[in-house]
Amino acid sequence: MSTRRPVSRVPTQVPAENGSNGTDGRNSVVLGPKDRLVGQLYIEGDLRVSGTVDGALEATGDIEIAGGGKVNGAVTAYNRLVVGSDASLIGGEVRVARLTVEDGATFTGRVSMGKHKAEVVSEPAPEVQPIPEPIAEPEPVSPPQDWGLTTPKRKKGR
Amino acid sequence: MDVQEAVAEGAASVENGEVKRDGRKQFSMGPGDILEGKLIYDGSVHADGRLEGEVRVTGNIDVASGASVKALLEGANVSLKGNVEGAVTARDKLTLGKNAKLSGDIQVRRLQIDDGATLNGHVRMGDFEHQASGQ
Repeated sequence: MSTRRPVSRVPTQVPAENGSNGTDGRNSVVLGPKDRLVGQLYIEGDLRVSGTVDGALEATGDIEIAGGGKVNGAVTAYNRLVVGSDASLIGGEVRVARLTVEDGATFTGRVSMGKHKAEVVSEPAPEVQPIPEPIAEPEPVSPPQDWGLTTPKRKKGR
Repeated sequence: MDVQEAVAEGAASVENGEVKRDGRKQFSMGPGDILEGKLIYDGSVHADGRLEGEVRVTGNIDVASGASVKALLEGANVSLKGNVEGAVTARDKLTLGKNAKLSGDIQVRRLQIDDGATLNGHVRMGDFEHQASGQ
C-alpha cells in the first residue's frame, strides 16, 4: 500500500468530525446535534448542520442539513443544498445552485435556482469613499432582521 | 373504500384512451399528444407531449421526461420528470426527478427533490384543510 502523498507536503492531522478546516483543502464547518446558532453565518466552504440554527446561512460551497438538523431562516448555497430525511428547513429565501430534498424532510420556503450570481445586496456605496481598512465587514448575507449583532459603522467625514 | 368502488364502476363503462391499472383508471398521454383545457379526472394521469390548462385528479399525476406542461396540477402523488410551469399541489407526495424543471408554487405533504432537478417557486408543506373528495 503506497500512500501517494508528496513528501514535501505533509498534511496536518485534522479531526474528521468536529470543527472547521475539512477535507481536500476546502473549508468545512460542522454544527453538531447539540450546537445552536442564532444569527448570521457566512462560510467560505461547506457547512454541515445537525443542530439548530435560527438565522441566515450562506456558504460558498455546499450546505447539508441532516441528522435532525433544524434551520429557521434564509439559506444561500453557491453550490448545493441537501436537506436530509430527518432534517428541517423552514426558510424564507432559499437560493441554491443545486438542491436535494430527501423524502421525509420538512421543507418550506421560496426557492430560487439557476441564475445565482451572489446578487445579495452588494452596496456600491456611492457617497462614502472606500475606507482603506483591510477588514471591511463584507456583509455577505442581507440581514432579514436585526439580530442584535450589527456592528456600529463608523462614518468618516472628510 | 368509497373511492375504490366509484372508480371500479367508472372503469367498467369508459374505455377510450384509458388503461386500467389495479382497478383504477389511468388517463395516458403519448409523446405526440396535446391536451389543452381543464381535466378533472377520477383516476391517475400519465402526461406526455404537451399539456396546458388545469388537471385535477383523485389519483396520481406522472409527467414524463419529454413532456412540456403549462398547467395547474393537483393529485395525490405527483411525480415530475419533465418541464412544468404552474402551481402543483400534491395531497401526499411530490417527487421531482433529476431532469425535472418546475417553475411554480407547490403545496405538498411530503417532498422529494432529486439532485439535478430545478425548482423555482414557493414551497408550502403540511396537511391540507380541504381534503380530496371521498376521503
